[in-house]
Amino acid sequence: MVSTNADAVAIEANDLQKTYGTETALDTVSFSIETGTVYGFLGPNGAGKTTTMRLLTGLTQPTSGTVRICGTAVDDRRAIASLVGYLPETPPVYEAFSAREQLEYVAELRDIPAGSATERIEQYLDRFDLADDADKRISTYSKGMKQKTAFIQSVLHDPDVLLLDEPTSGLDPRAARRIRESITELADAGTAVFLSTHILPVVEAVADAVGVLFDGRLVTEGTPEGVTSLAETGEDGTLEDAFLAVTSKEAATDR
Amino acid sequence: MTGRRDVHHAIRIARAEVIRELRGATGDRRRVIGLLMVGLFYGSGLLFALPAVYALGQATGTVQSIPYLGGIATVAPVSMVVLSIFRTSQQIGTIDSEELVLLTVHPRAVVLGVIGAEVVQSMLWFGVPIGLIATAFALGIGAPTLPVTAGLVLLPLFCWATVWGYAGGIGMLRLFRWLPGLKQLLKIGWALALLPIIVGSQYIGTAIADRTFSIAGLLETLAFEPLQSYVELAFVGTELFHSPSIGAIGVLGGLVALTPVGLAVATRQATTFWFTDDPAPEQPQRTERSVGGFEAPQPFGSTSAGAIAWGHLVRAVRQPQEFAHLMIMLVMLGPAVAPIVQVDGNVGPIVAAIGVVVGTYLAGAAFGLNPLGDDRPAFPLLLLTEAGPRTLVWSRVIAGLAIGAPIAFLIPLGSIVAGTPALFAVGFAVVGCGMCLTAAMFAVGIGAVYPIYEEQEYWGTETVVPSTGIMMVYFWVVAGGTVIGLILTWVVLTGAGSLSLLIAAGVGVYLLLTALVPYGSYRYAIRRYRTYTLE
Ligand SMILES: Nc1ncnc2c1ncn2[C@@H]1O[C@H](COP(=O)(O)OP(=O)(O)OP(=O)(O)O)[C@@H](O)[C@H]1O
Ligand SMILES: [Mg+2]
Repeated sequence: MVSTNADAVAIEANDLQKTYGTETALDTVSFSIETGTVYGFLGPNGAGKTTTMRLLTGLTQPTSGTVRICGTAVDDRRAIASLVGYLPETPPVYEAFSAREQLEYVAELRDIPAGSATERIEQYLDRFDLADDADKRISTYSKGMKQKTAFIQSVLHDPDVLLLDEPTSGLDPRAARRIRESITELADAGTAVFLSTHILPVVEAVADAVGVLFDGRLVTEGTPEGVTSLAETGEDGTLEDAFLAVTSKEAATDR
Repeated sequence: MTGRRDVHHAIRIARAEVIRELRGATGDRRRVIGLLMVGLFYGSGLLFALPAVYALGQATGTVQSIPYLGGIATVAPVSMVVLSIFRTSQQIGTIDSEELVLLTVHPRAVVLGVIGAEVVQSMLWFGVPIGLIATAFALGIGAPTLPVTAGLVLLPLFCWATVWGYAGGIGMLRLFRWLPGLKQLLKIGWALALLPIIVGSQYIGTAIADRTFSIAGLLETLAFEPLQSYVELAFVGTELFHSPSIGAIGVLGGLVALTPVGLAVATRQATTFWFTDDPAPEQPQRTERSVGGFEAPQPFGSTSAGAIAWGHLVRAVRQPQEFAHLMIMLVMLGPAVAPIVQVDGNVGPIVAAIGVVVGTYLAGAAFGLNPLGDDRPAFPLLLLTEAGPRTLVWSRVIAGLAIGAPIAFLIPLGSIVAGTPALFAVGFAVVGCGMCLTAAMFAVGIGAVYPIYEEQEYWGTETVVPSTGIMMVYFWVVAGGTVIGLILTWVVLTGAGSLSLLIAAGVGVYLLLTALVPYGSYRYAIRRYRTYTLE
């Protein structure tokens, strides 16, 4: 799965390193993700998942190493803007706006023609059960509603690469399923989805490839099945067992 | 091509920012009332000023005869730049939802948009009064085009100032990131600088009154000729105006040329600032305190209220920004401090009295003015311990005393070296300690009347501050009560032995009030806490 077909590489990270003062948050991480792939990015709290995603978007500069998105260097901000969609940990929405205003604003900034923008927005609002609340101020929204609004705005422009940081946190099962379905659909249409989460069943359900980050290092990479068997957890092993096995093994070798 | 796109985006960003700001400003009732009060205050002032401006216009024969024009033309741009630097470093330099904005449009569009929003907002705020004044003046001199030309003259100046202020503000933010200590230092320095400014303003007030100093003179010395003649361009097309000077044309050219340069500098600054990490992110940490988590030293450790009080004190040292509201004292006390500098001879008693007032004020204001709001994050924790409402309230009184009482006690004693008679020094010190107790008890009660929970921007930090109204009431009651108490103490000590019945009665009433009001206030605070406990 993690082969390298130069044309189809959507995300390419080479020897990424990031230090904060004396602390190393990320240590020579490399990976390459093809278009149409859902890449599950796993790791315990503080492993460096958010840091990696910020590097992939160019919002933060690596201490060393390079990132290319669809062959474009990540510091080419004009080009990157249209290629990437990013849903960070805290939904970047404006409390003073309603969901509809927020989405229309983003569509305007992304130069999506008004007609098709309205259509898409309505479609997504319907799909995520936000249509009834779409004209209320976001300040009155629950965490899940903000999360859904932010998810919609990150896919509004059909990005080639979609980076999702804990997209299903705070969502009810129904909304979480809608997100999973959207991820699969987007991947089928050719989007590379980089998905960081703690909720392993989500990764098991949608991911084509998995990477496990531990303490700033990419310790395992492969298909979900491959990673599961690699951890030698027996026959009915789940990804969760594998995750716990891999990370505790790493913690042990660290000592 | 990209330029046009950025401008399009900038217009949308500016529009969104203005809408957000307006909705924020009119969002809750308290803000709207505040706005209305400000509007009423300045609006009525303006109403009285307009006829005078009109008359001034009628009387004006030449541009040179307009009072203060040169000084204002010089001071205004400088203050615009300073204001813009300040706004940038406080608010508009960091963008909200940056993960969205920076991954959607080019940073140049963001800078343009934010600055555009700032210009529009300032126009809304200042444009209306300036427009009215210009119109009144224009009607006075009979030149209806003046408001338009004044606007045309001000706009380039304003854009130039905002753009360079933005660049400077971001530069300052970057400097703070580099040298975090500098920020702390500036905050303290700013507080300390206030005192001389306030004291100084007292001097200037008297100096203006006895005509040793005149504002007109100061403005005249400040006047910068080319800027003055630039502003005079506003009178183009009226009888007052003859021909533009070379200086004026130079200034206009400079403004027009330097604005895009400033924009480029601002964009570079902002891009660097936004796309690099904050090495020490300043998260608002409102951590719960653990009551039993650390040993409180004696005498705090002996009771649970004492231990919690110790917690308050430790937190005060760790998060000094939570005490930003105490700065208001500097503003209020300034006028009181000014006389000391002017009195020659015996300043001892004044120093002693100020020590008592400051100590008393702090005893309540430091921990007591928003007890419910400050304790709310820790409520679940505090209520799980056996500490009851009485303990929680009392702990705030103790913590306040630990700060206020030493000041109220030691400064009067110390003032002996400045000439306070020993008897009075000791009397003030003893009375001061009593005052501290009453003030601390009074504070928790009125502080519980109107709890504030949200963090807001205050003196440059995000923190939960007590309601301004409560702070004012507290200040006037406590400062007034303390001063009366000290005067009574003085009278009693001077006339010891031969008190008239009237004075005795006065002292009696005073003592009764200072005992009952704080006690009632303290009981009220406990009642308010109890309603939370039962919830
Ligand atoms: N701005 C910063 N300054 C200093 N250290 C930072 C900064 N941002 C992140 N770190 C450090 O980098 C490490 C990785 O953090 P990161 O947020 O990427 O973890 P994460 O895998 O996303 O964790 P979580 O699952 O909790 O979201 C942590 O040790 C964190 O303390
Ligand atoms: Mg994270």
